[in-house]
Amino acid sequence: MASIVESVLSKLMNKNVLFTVSFLVRLVLVSFGVYQDRTMVVKYTDVDYHVFTDASKFITQGQSPYHRSTYRYTPLLAWILTPNIYLSHVFGKLLFITCDVLSGHLIYLILRQRGLSCEAACRVCSLWLLNPLPAGVSSRGNAESVITALVLATLLCLELRQLPMAAILYGLAVHMKIYPVTYALPIALSLQRKENVEERRVGWWRKGLGFLLRLLNKELFLFAGVAGVVFCGLTVLFYNMYGWDFLQETYLYHLTRRDIRHNFSPYFYMLYLTADSPWSLALGLAAFLPQALLLLLVSLAFHTDLALCCFLHTAIFVSFNKVCTSQYFLWYLCLFPLVLPRLTLSPKQGVELLALWFAGQGIWLAPAYYLEFEGYNTFLLIWLAGLIFLIINSFIMVQIITHYKPSDTMQRLKAE
Amino acid sequence: MTWLETVSVTMDVSKNGFHRDLVTTVYFGPGFPDGLEALLVHRLPSGIYIDQYQLASLKEDTGLQVLLGSEVDLEAPAHTSEEFIVLVYPALDQGSLKATLPIHGRYHKPSLAGKRFELVEIKLPKLILRTDTCTQLISFPPYKIVDSPCTVHNLSICQWLEIQHQQEQDPVSLEIPLGDGSLVEPVCAGTLLVTLLCCAILSRSIWRHGVFLDNVILT
Repeated sequence: MASIVESVLSKLMNKNVLFTVSFLVRLVLVSFGVYQDRTMVVKYTDVDYHVFTDASKFITQGQSPYHRSTYRYTPLLAWILTPNIYLSHVFGKLLFITCDVLSGHLIYLILRQRGLSCEAACRVCSLWLLNPLPAGVSSRGNAESVITALVLATLLCLELRQLPMAAILYGLAVHMKIYPVTYALPIALSLQRKENVEERRVGWWRKGLGFLLRLLNKELFLFAGVAGVVFCGLTVLFYNMYGWDFLQETYLYHLTRRDIRHNFSPYFYMLYLTADSPWSLALGLAAFLPQALLLLLVSLAFHTDLALCCFLHTAIFVSFNKVCTSQYFLWYLCLFPLVLPRLTLSPKQGVELLALWFAGQGIWLAPAYYLEFEGYNTFLLIWLAGLIFLIINSFIMVQIITHYKPSDTMQRLKAE
Repeated sequence: MTWLETVSVTMDVSKNGFHRDLVTTVYFGPGFPDGLEALLVHRLPSGIYIDQYQLASLKEDTGLQVLLGSEVDLEAPAHTSEEFIVLVYPALDQGSLKATLPIHGRYHKPSLAGKRFELVEIKLPKLILRTDTCTQLISFPPYKIVDSPCTVHNLSICQWLEIQHQQEQDPVSLEIPLGDGSLVEPVCAGTLLVTLLCCAILSRSIWRHGVFLDNVILT
């Protein structure tokens, strides 16, 4: 029995087989979803997919997609999904599962670029490709795979030093979802010119000046310029087409979002109880400061390894955010396979940490279910579960940081 | 005249939690007139809301016919929302007219007095009737004549007869859990303490294992 499993697994670790199988699995899920939606009361398709499709319908009728209430995304997404109306309702889901498998392929290419063998890269990739979470999310019609593909493509282009392409993809990624904007500092720091030996021996104010001059170099200006043109160009285009609604729903809503309804965030109950109090603004700021400090520290500490830096960035951003839903987890899970090869954790430790992460979610989901579907007042339990989840996430991140074996370059720099 | 006196309306709320079903049943005696159309006019409180997109999908699945009087905000809390009108065209189901409307509880303001639940009351709907065979209605007390859309497609307005309820049922109510406003200080303190602690632990770990190059101004 064990030898059959082993032989199946080894055949699966062939690159072509792996990618074909993962695409087919997602195709089956999409087909099952269509069947379930038609025959059962509980639908497979996510509400978001209907929101996108309704917004696309408005576009085909020459109207603004923001006529669809709760459509809080870029108009670009509704435009891309117009074939949902003209061709088939299932087009969007096929696009999302393709982006999902593409994300897996980009992970494979980045791992190969970082020196992994074909087989090892396949094994790590399979953690994303054969993972039910991203497969389920994209086959249900969520658009997260589009943004994960854009972020991974940006990282690949940066690894290959293809700066103009990286900048275009980055500008597009930030346009679609705001959170990649936090990568700006690590990317800028990673593009700085290398320091000369003579520059080491000067006083601190001269060091500061030298640092600034190394940071503001030609490559950074190229990257910032191209990314800026792409982002501003898209913003101006859609502002001209849809006006203030576009800015409000795509960006401002997310920046000022105070969702008082229960979610994974440790701040949820505090924000619910103080929603109408004069302390609300000060508390919002107090919630923002730990997030900002940690993001700054991570950028300065790990910018030499962009994959680890971006992973920690997003994991910290999501864990310390004022609103946190399970969709956000995919934003850092797609970067985890890039970090995995350099972790010195044993498989047993890895599985324990994974189990702890799931346990943290379970501890939250139980009282949340009783609140929403049974009507018990479990607010206090949900609050405590949110705090426990933050502690668990922080613990896991500390374990990852502690057991990360930097690349040879990083080790050499650390030793000097 | 006498048949109208046999008509009665009852309402019930099923399921638990924030997502409920509002079931309205119209009972009537024998002698159901041909071509009779019924319309239930619900005045729903600000403590709940209806998802028009869910209604659109239910219309295809179960044939539920509902017209919303105005746009309903799906996310606003109760104290910033208002009452709203819903027109429900019930369907014939085993000798009575029945309609099941999915409703959702809104988040309410946290209570300061230790109250754990908010009672949201839903009054009985008004029942109005019309028939295709009788287009000219004469008003006579206690029955009134009102104007409302003829069908769920809302293409034209017809005259309907408002029926008085024979049984006075108490309004149905549902309980919505409330946050405990009296705990605001311990919750804020506890939250900020834990988040700052986690921040400190992570910062320490990053500081220890990070590769801060010499050219960084902090070191």
